[in-house]
Amino acid sequence: MIRLGLRMAVAGGRAAVARLAIIGAAVAIGVGLVLAALAGTTAVQRQNAHYGWLNSAHAEAATGPSAADPAWWAFREDYFRGRSIARIDVAVTGPHAPVPPGLSALPGPGEYAVSPALAELLRTTPPDQLSERFPGRRTAVLGRDALASPDLLIAVVGRTPADVAGLRDATQLTRFVSVSPEHCLRCYVGTGINGMALILAVVVAALLFPLLIFIGVATRLSAARREQRLAAMRLVGATPRQVATLATIESMIAATAGTLLGFGLFLLLRPVLAHVPFTGLRFFLDDLELTWPAALLMLFGVPIGAALSARLALRRVRMSPLGVMRRVTPKPPRAWRLLPLIAGLAELTWFVGRKPYTTNGQTAAYLSGILVVMIGVVVAGPWVTMTGSRLLARLARRPAGVIAGRRLADDPRAGFRSISGLALALFVGSVATGVITSYVAERGDSAATPIIHNLMTVTSWSGHGQQPLDQASVPPSLTAVPGVRAVVLIRDNPQIDKNDPNSWPGLISCADLTRIPGSGHCSPGAAAAQVFPNLVPPYGGSVRGGSDPQWPPAPEVPLDRQAVIGVAVDTDGSPAALETSRTLLENAFPQVDGAASEGDIRDDSTRLLRQMQRLADIVIIASLVIAGCSLAVSITGGLNERKRPFAVLRLAGLRLSDLRGVVLLESAVPLLAVSAVAVAAGFVSAALFLKSQLGYELRPPGAGYYAVTGTGLLVSLALIASTMPLLRRLTGPASVRND
Amino acid sequence: MSAALRASGVELSFGATPALRGADLTIATGEIVAVMGPSGSGKSTLLHCLAGILVPDAGQILVDGQRIDTLSETRRSELRRDRFGFVFQFGQLVPELTAAENVALPLLLGGVRRKPALQQAREWFDRLGLEGLHGRRSGELSGGQAQRVALARALVGGPQVLFADEPTGALDSITGEQVMELLVSLARDRGTTVVLVTHEARVAAYADREVIVRDGRVTSFDTQEAAA
Amino acid sequence: MSVPLTLLGLLERQPSHGYDLKRDYDTYFGRGKSLPFGQVYSTLARLTRDGKVVMDELAPGDGPDRKRYVITEAGATEVDAWLAEPVQAEPHLQTVLFAKVVLSLMLDRGAKSYLDAQRHAHLQRMRELTEIKRSGELVDGLLADHGLFHLEADLRWIDLTAARLEQLRAQVRR
Repeated sequence: MIRLGLRMAVAGGRAAVARLAIIGAAVAIGVGLVLAALAGTTAVQRQNAHYGWLNSAHAEAATGPSAADPAWWAFREDYFRGRSIARIDVAVTGPHAPVPPGLSALPGPGEYAVSPALAELLRTTPPDQLSERFPGRRTAVLGRDALASPDLLIAVVGRTPADVAGLRDATQLTRFVSVSPEHCLRCYVGTGINGMALILAVVVAALLFPLLIFIGVATRLSAARREQRLAAMRLVGATPRQVATLATIESMIAATAGTLLGFGLFLLLRPVLAHVPFTGLRFFLDDLELTWPAALLMLFGVPIGAALSARLALRRVRMSPLGVMRRVTPKPPRAWRLLPLIAGLAELTWFVGRKPYTTNGQTAAYLSGILVVMIGVVVAGPWVTMTGSRLLARLARRPAGVIAGRRLADDPRAGFRSISGLALALFVGSVATGVITSYVAERGDSAATPIIHNLMTVTSWSGHGQQPLDQASVPPSLTAVPGVRAVVLIRDNPQIDKNDPNSWPGLISCADLTRIPGSGHCSPGAAAAQVFPNLVPPYGGSVRGGSDPQWPPAPEVPLDRQAVIGVAVDTDGSPAALETSRTLLENAFPQVDGAASEGDIRDDSTRLLRQMQRLADIVIIASLVIAGCSLAVSITGGLNERKRPFAVLRLAGLRLSDLRGVVLLESAVPLLAVSAVAVAAGFVSAALFLKSQLGYELRPPGAGYYAVTGTGLLVSLALIASTMPLLRRLTGPASVRND
Repeated sequence: MSAALRASGVELSFGATPALRGADLTIATGEIVAVMGPSGSGKSTLLHCLAGILVPDAGQILVDGQRIDTLSETRRSELRRDRFGFVFQFGQLVPELTAAENVALPLLLGGVRRKPALQQAREWFDRLGLEGLHGRRSGELSGGQAQRVALARALVGGPQVLFADEPTGALDSITGEQVMELLVSLARDRGTTVVLVTHEARVAAYADREVIVRDGRVTSFDTQEAAA
Repeated sequence: MSVPLTLLGLLERQPSHGYDLKRDYDTYFGRGKSLPFGQVYSTLARLTRDGKVVMDELAPGDGPDRKRYVITEAGATEVDAWLAEPVQAEPHLQTVLFAKVVLSLMLDRGAKSYLDAQRHAHLQRMRELTEIKRSGELVDGLLADHGLFHLEADLRWIDLTAARLEQLRAQVRR
């Protein structure tokens, strides 16, 4: 029986093999995708777990054995050429200090340990730009246990207890945190697991849906011939059970082959995947692994799932020995099909102004809402198609329009099926583009000025509860660094009014302000201005003016006598100038947060955002491609199945050009009607999400979106048009023959 | 008289369209009966009912005195496999399988192992003048060859009843007569009962007697006269 | 083709003059070969002699032809028997078959059952010929084939006629 099924599945000639190949390939891509996502989730978790010890300042989460002699510990973030460095200053108080992962002991005073990536940087970078930040000599390289990513830059700097105790946020600890940051309330080093899982889920869903539709479309290829074959088997006495077994074997072949291929694809692409900086940093290859349960689930789950769905499909068509005998006009879709769509949008609307407090709650609320809308688009599709086709039939004057309209209205589900993948791709694309465009517009570097990148500042102001800077510590060699154009001081504003949104903590003389291009200008007639300590207006502040903000005038106080709360070094933007001045500033002011440009700080969020945007683009293009494939397959398949009625129409005197019109309209009407609905639903969902989650308004998408969407639609229409030559051949008089 | 097949008061509708309205028919063991009638009269439907493919809305179908219209789908499938054979006009061979595999199909479905089943199938090829064709696909056979393969498949399991629905419908007259000649002589040799649906008198003339299906009812003639 | 029986059949509808009989005969069965008056009267004379037809009273008045013929009990019985009996299944039966069908319809007898009986008779003959073909020499087989094809043509005509009986009935009963 099984052998018979195998023979039949593969012996069906070129068409059957092509069908199996298409299904197998789609399954392979789908399986590979899901495996990548599963492994990615594992990798994110493992990566996160490796961040754990960096959070050791939060001792309440610390586990493990306690050491006899506590160690001083101060964590801060440093930067090098746009990359973050985790710098920990430590000081041991005795021989029995706690031992961190990846090291045999904490470095003593005058010693420091670095991660391999940082070691490499130290080797290739001039000392005045990087290594001079770390006092003493390198004595160790951190082992794998301490590293979340091969790219991670970590420096553990050994100093005296007195030195470390004076640093900001310095604590004493006797043991290290070994739990993942996700289980530790105040741990901030690490990745938001829930956010990553959410993004992964959306990406996989966005790609998997079109793939599933594609598999469905491919499965329907040559369905008529399969039905005929199964009917022939039933006639000679195959029991319903035997026929079900045969059909199951058939679909399992493609699914099994596809699954194995998917595993191969995943293994092949794993090294590439590890390089995708999904969390911002590469994965270790051995972190990007499948867990056994997940691998087994996929290995057996996919073929079994395929078998089950084949059984279900057969149950719907009661296989009679005489074949499926009479074609009945399916019931027209009813208006209730709009309900899921409306329900999804209603859910998202409800959450506007009712944003859940927890991240999990938000995930559940927004993701489920968007998923319901997505399902709603698919469910509503046939109804939209029918409405569009009825309109077409009513308005049409030419025979092509009338015939296409009637045929579509007769079976709108079939008409929708071929374009459903495209509708989903457009929906996902619209949501992603809507959200990201607006997010970037609000948060991105729209007000980018040179100082965001060029201006290196170190700040310490009372608003942060810190001591002011010692003016004498400003290194005189700063001005001699090649590429440094100006060094200015920002002083404390003693009359800051916390209730006035236009009052700022820093003061600067107008003469200094003008020395730094892009930092804005004084109010007319003022000698000094109130400024934000790093001279960049914060988000949402009242300082407007884009790249040339106008700062409010300073209060009447003697500028020179105010404490220094910031040192700003204007450079030409070259990495050497930036990093050399950063090194000088940090060594001059070791007690405060590291020197940084606004760009360094912003990069963390904007880099991620840009990655997300790139990811969204890839998802949109990939799902458009998949959807295009299913459209092409379903149109050619559909033409093959309908060649008889078309040939009869032609014999009855319908011109070939009119027939072309029929085929074109039959695909184009659902395509355009459903696309409009999908795009609209996508932007409304995006707008509701933005309003609820972030309080932003939806911004119109950029030219890229129109280009991608327009190209997608044009390519689809071109795909439809490309089947036209086929039409002439397929609908020749020979096709009227009864066989 | 032993009745191989008996239909009594068989009624069957397709939706609102009645196809059979009280058809009665008795066929003796070893008898070859032609079922004639205009198109749409219900003659094929009657055959499908007799063969357990369709289940009548009312009335009874008896095979060797045993009711089959009350059997489950699976039991009726097994009945078709083990005791009936079928030759239809066309489209009955599975195009994905070779001719020999097609002939062996009822045996394979019945659980016979592949080797002996194919062996048994091959024997039929010589008997039916199909030497050397067992490896062909159905698309590579002529109409007459395909019908002979179908005939071999119908007879390979040694059925009690052979159901033939327009077996020569797609063939020219000479090929058609060859197929009929084979069908009738093989059936006579084995004492197989044959139900032959046809609208062609020359095909019907191969039968022992004919019945006419008209408006879903069966008109029979005096069996004694028919036996003469 | 039996002229006496056909005329008898026509008479069974209603008593008729010789002229009317000739006209009806020509209309339905003549097909380009009209029945001579002489043959009509000689046949009627023979039927009268055999007691199957009697002469009616002369109607007074008009026209040269005053004799009206009426069918007798014996005549009607003979028509009945003739109509019920299938014709020997042979080629070229069209005229007799046709006459029987038309008369059956005219007389409101079961034309359908007549056609069934005729089909049965034809098939019976075809079975014999098929048997000859299957067992006999090639020459016999070829001759049998000739007969089979002609019988088949008849049967097709029978099937066609059976399908159009209602139309024909409406026409002959006008």
